Amino acid sequence: MVFDVFFLQQVINGLSIGCVYALMAIGFTLIFGVLNVVNFAHGEVYTIGAFVGLMVITALAPPLLAVVPLVLAVGAVSGVGLERIAFRPFRRFTDEASQKSRAMREATLLSSLAVSIVTREIMMHIFGGDMQGIPSGYLLQQPVAIGPIMVASGSLVIFATSAVMLGALQFLLYRTQTGLGIRAVSNNQLGARYVGINTDRTIVTTFAVGSMLGATAGILVGLYDGAISPHMGFAPGVKAFVAMVMGGLSSIPGAVACALLLGVSESIATEFLSSGWKDLITYSLLVITLVFFPQGLFGHGRERA
Amino acid sequence: MRKNAILGAVLGAMLATTAVQAADREIVIGYQAPLSGDRSQYGEMFRNAAQIKLEEFNASGKLAGAKVAITFEDSKDDPKEARNIAHKFLDNSKIVGVIGDFSSTVSMAAGEIYAAEKMPQLSQTASHPDFTKLSPWQFRNITTQAFEGPYNADWIIAAGKKTAAVIYIQNDWGISALDGFVSGFKAKGGKITATEAFNPGNRDFRSILTKVARQKPDVIYLAMFYEEGAAFAQQREQLGIKIPLYGTSSLYSPKLIELGRESVEGLHLATTFTPDNPDPAVQTFVKEYAARFKSEPGMFAAQAYDAVGIMLDAVAKAGPSVTRESLRDALAATTGYPGVTGATSFDPVTREPAKALAKMMVKDGRFQVVTGP
Repeated sequence: MVFDVFFLQQVINGLSIGCVYALMAIGFTLIFGVLNVVNFAHGEVYTIGAFVGLMVITALAPPLLAVVPLVLAVGAVSGVGLERIAFRPFRRFTDEASQKSRAMREATLLSSLAVSIVTREIMMHIFGGDMQGIPSGYLLQQPVAIGPIMVASGSLVIFATSAVMLGALQFLLYRTQTGLGIRAVSNNQLGARYVGINTDRTIVTTFAVGSMLGATAGILVGLYDGAISPHMGFAPGVKAFVAMVMGGLSSIPGAVACALLLGVSESIATEFLSSGWKDLITYSLLVITLVFFPQGLFGHGRERA
Repeated sequence: MRKNAILGAVLGAMLATTAVQAADREIVIGYQAPLSGDRSQYGEMFRNAAQIKLEEFNASGKLAGAKVAITFEDSKDDPKEARNIAHKFLDNSKIVGVIGDFSSTVSMAAGEIYAAEKMPQLSQTASHPDFTKLSPWQFRNITTQAFEGPYNADWIIAAGKKTAAVIYIQNDWGISALDGFVSGFKAKGGKITATEAFNPGNRDFRSILTKVARQKPDVIYLAMFYEEGAAFAQQREQLGIKIPLYGTSSLYSPKLIELGRESVEGLHLATTFTPDNPDPAVQTFVKEYAARFKSEPGMFAAQAYDAVGIMLDAVAKAGPSVTRESLRDALAATTGYPGVTGATSFDPVTREPAKALAKMMVKDGRFQVVTGP
């Protein structure tokens, strides 16, 4: 192994794949932070974003920047719908015992998994299980040379989008009334309700925002990858989940940092090992983190109701 | 009186027809394939192709004094069904040979019975290495990676390229493709610079590409399917890597070009069947199939068409008094059968097919046959 231009290229490759994980991890972590449960359907929101984007592109051929607001809207709608179907029914009892019940909360783990399976099967039924190509005018695949290093235009777009999303989200969470509500619900749902926060509306807002980010991630990665399929959400979903756990479950910047770390580690590991082993690197990092930093690398440790 | 005369005439006519039929012995070939269930689309294609070939054969007069018929049975891609069918075929003394089944698992389930009861079996698609090892009664008309790998290796060496990196999918098939190519390439004096596996479902090949490009091999050999092949070619283009691509026949799909676009230009692969092949035999088959079934025949239909052709030619060679024994020997002696999937010969010992594959490359946005290296 040599520290040459190829090595530098590997680091850049790792950052680009890490950005893809990060893009997904942001929405995932936001929803987890509020409800304290894993939203298994996040990968499907991502896929829906990609398919709706492709449908709009093939039907209307709009400029790329016009696709984004539409995908954001679709993301928001699917987020609200998802919350209504898979999460709200388990919050219909408002007494203290139900609110604190772990079983009630964890039941949504399965209901969101169910929604994810049904959505994926419906998409397979409509679109087929094959990869769908993206019209070439929209692809984010132009090679960009930075000195001897090559990156795809999509990597730069995804990097910029992740940064913008992260910034906007931090602004929303720490500088606005809605953000204060989200943080309050995330911290203690029952307490938030007692002090007069409309927790239902806050949760719906969180889902809408998280899913908007998820859907945008889907279409961007689709344009970068060149092809989309109903299964596209699964693999990055798993990596985003690992990044979220490593980052300390509810820390969004932590999840992003860990997503980049995962991407770069996988990429550099390819230099030493066969790339068939790269998932081993991901899960080893996860296990090491959990053993030595049970709170995650960026978690602050909080009371779990 | 009048009534009796009519009756007599009818009887006479019936006797006459029986006499003609008796002169023409009826020889039957059993065909087992999935005609219902999940895999029925394949069985359907096999049956369509088999009907065309059978009619051609009976009209050709290659076999004087006998008529050949094909009996189809639905195996539902289920090993249990396949075993029942095997017994049924064995009990029918008119059946001298069997074609099928579709998948290796099902073909082998039936094959164990055919092996024990001595019935020649020819599968159009079973590619598991162990299928032909069951007994001397099993044949197949599909080449495996053990044949395709060395074939591609020869092609690359003949083009003056001496070093190769192999990227393969991490599953049984991918490993067999890797072994086939690497052993063939080394045997011809080529050097393998790297072999890199990736897990099924992987979409990011940038790190593999970067690693492989450092050693500057003359070619990159891809053992994967079109989804990954297209992504690989696109990312290769983005990284500005110019090393030429060769690949397995599994990449041969219009979807490869649809997804990969300009990035797959120049990709080389060898395949058994291509509807664009200008060979008149291929064009006749493609036109006839399209006229009857309103669709372009794919690789599977072509495999079945040739399997039936090989079987029928073996019947013709064994003559009208063909037995299961003599048909097996005639099959084993198949050399240079001029099929639509390339000229096919069976190795008399291993019963593995050897075919002249069509060498193709992607040029101007479509697969084109290449002549020469």
